[in-house]
Amino acid sequence: MQFKKVLTLRTIVATSAGLTLASSSFVAAVSVAGFVLGDTAWIAILVGGLLCFLAAFCFSELNGLLPSAAGIRLYFSRAFNDRVSLTVSILYMLVVIVGVVGAESYIISSVLTGVMPAVPPYIWIVLMLLLVTGMNIRGIKIAGLFQDIITYGLMFSMLVFGLIALFKTNFHFNAPFSPGGATGIISAVAVGVFLFVGFEWVTPLAEEVTHNRQISRGMMIALGVLSVIYAIFTTAMTATVPKEILAASAAPHLAFARATLGGVGVTWMTVVSLAATVTTFNAGLISVSRFMYATAREHALPQIFSKISLRYLTPWVSILTLFLVGLIVSGVILLTHRYLVLVHLAAAMESLVYVLAGLAVIKLRRRMPEQERPFRIPFGNLVPALTMLVFTVLALAVLVTSPWVLVNLAVAFLVVLIYVNTAVPYLKKKYQARRPAARRRPLRGTDGAEGN
Amino acid sequence: MATHEEITESLTVFTDGYNKNGRLKIMNRDWDRVVVVQATDIDSLHTLTLVDGVVSLKEGAAGNPDLTVISDSETLADIFYGDITPTEPYNNGTLRIIGTEDDIIRLDFISLMIWGE
Repeated sequence: MQFKKVLTLRTIVATSAGLTLASSSFVAAVSVAGFVLGDTAWIAILVGGLLCFLAAFCFSELNGLLPSAAGIRLYFSRAFNDRVSLTVSILYMLVVIVGVVGAESYIISSVLTGVMPAVPPYIWIVLMLLLVTGMNIRGIKIAGLFQDIITYGLMFSMLVFGLIALFKTNFHFNAPFSPGGATGIISAVAVGVFLFVGFEWVTPLAEEVTHNRQISRGMMIALGVLSVIYAIFTTAMTATVPKEILAASAAPHLAFARATLGGVGVTWMTVVSLAATVTTFNAGLISVSRFMYATAREHALPQIFSKISLRYLTPWVSILTLFLVGLIVSGVILLTHRYLVLVHLAAAMESLVYVLAGLAVIKLRRRMPEQERPFRIPFGNLVPALTMLVFTVLALAVLVTSPWVLVNLAVAFLVVLIYVNTAVPYLKKKYQARRPAARRRPLRGTDGAEGN
Repeated sequence: MATHEEITESLTVFTDGYNKNGRLKIMNRDWDRVVVVQATDIDSLHTLTLVDGVVSLKEGAAGNPDLTVISDSETLADIFYGDITPTEPYNNGTLRIIGTEDDIIRLDFISLMIWGE
């Protein structure tokens, strides 16, 4: 049998990179620069990218072993158990949607308010969320060639902007290898990981490629290219605008654009930022609404979340719920201005998922030793063990330096844990009670004859 | 372990359930797809073909499917009879579907509309 639809490596790279490119990436880049001395942020970014390669190796092996759009839900269910898998998946989706929508909407509203100050920021947020919710309900997905054009356009813009700024400032490294103390470097690398958050979300495309290794290759290429682009862009930002000014702004890339190319730069960067946010929102809402739908279908969320629009074939209740969550989260962030907490929260959660991915590789090697693995990480358990160690340290670095992140993550974890251990068994029991008493499938006698 | 005949019967029930549902036919009138259903523990292959919103079943595999549904015979029979939802076996890896994510979701929507939750 020959499979019809095949994704190209170009699209896989664009999907992997596109999911990580967001307006909040610029804020995270400035945050990285703030932890280290002088113009050495590039070191932390390259190290962060390099460390993500470790996680990419783990996801490549897991994806080859269990190619499925279910992703970590399946990997962790096989490696640990269904309860652990469900807890981590719900927590991950929760943090992603709160983190991405909260931080992104705050930043993009700052960008747009900077361009058109007469319009209040919350209006921009509502408009953005309405746009993406409308797209999601209509089933419009930014994918394929359109996704390729946007992602490569974004990367090209960042690279060109960075190079122009470095050229204009006649940039020379000033003590490029002196980033400062160990604590600052570890924190910088930990937040640097946020720049690459989501690269592994390309694994659900595993069933759409002819060779499984293409997903691995795509993830690695995306990580490599993004590392270089982020390093150049961040170095250019801090070389052009003082770090203190960048850190004080929710839209540092706009200040950088203004200093580099004036009004043209601002317009260009606003378009870049809008494209980054819309693609991130679109992909994030599609993934999380589908996750909610699938979780409701397995009776781990109330049945209402599996309702679908007969016109557009989309899980409209899940999408509208996410819209409301987005409005509330954005409102809270707009009032508190604590958007950096969300960036750090997402970085910590992502690190924890990478730790579990490393552990899952080791456990599945023991549980499913004979299963075919199109991609097997060399050097035994060294890379998965290193992934666990490195990302445990990075998660701890974020949690220790940001007490709010620790509190929020701990509370979210407890809530999800209680939900999975009490509400989910109740929902499943309720479903069993509702089910028709008799199976539709006729019973078969021992001799193969049908009976009832 | 289910037999090939049981899988055929389950797919017939599924096909009838689909074709009796006017809404489904309208919903899928632009969704022409070839779906191969393959059992892993017995020799059993079937092809569901959707054209202009109408589905037809034949035994054997088509050469160029859009979607391939792979599982053990018991799971396949239970899914197509509507005794279990496809989501649980999919999430625990018992059921594998090769195809685009959008098509996989659409197949689940169809099953939801035929059998309810």
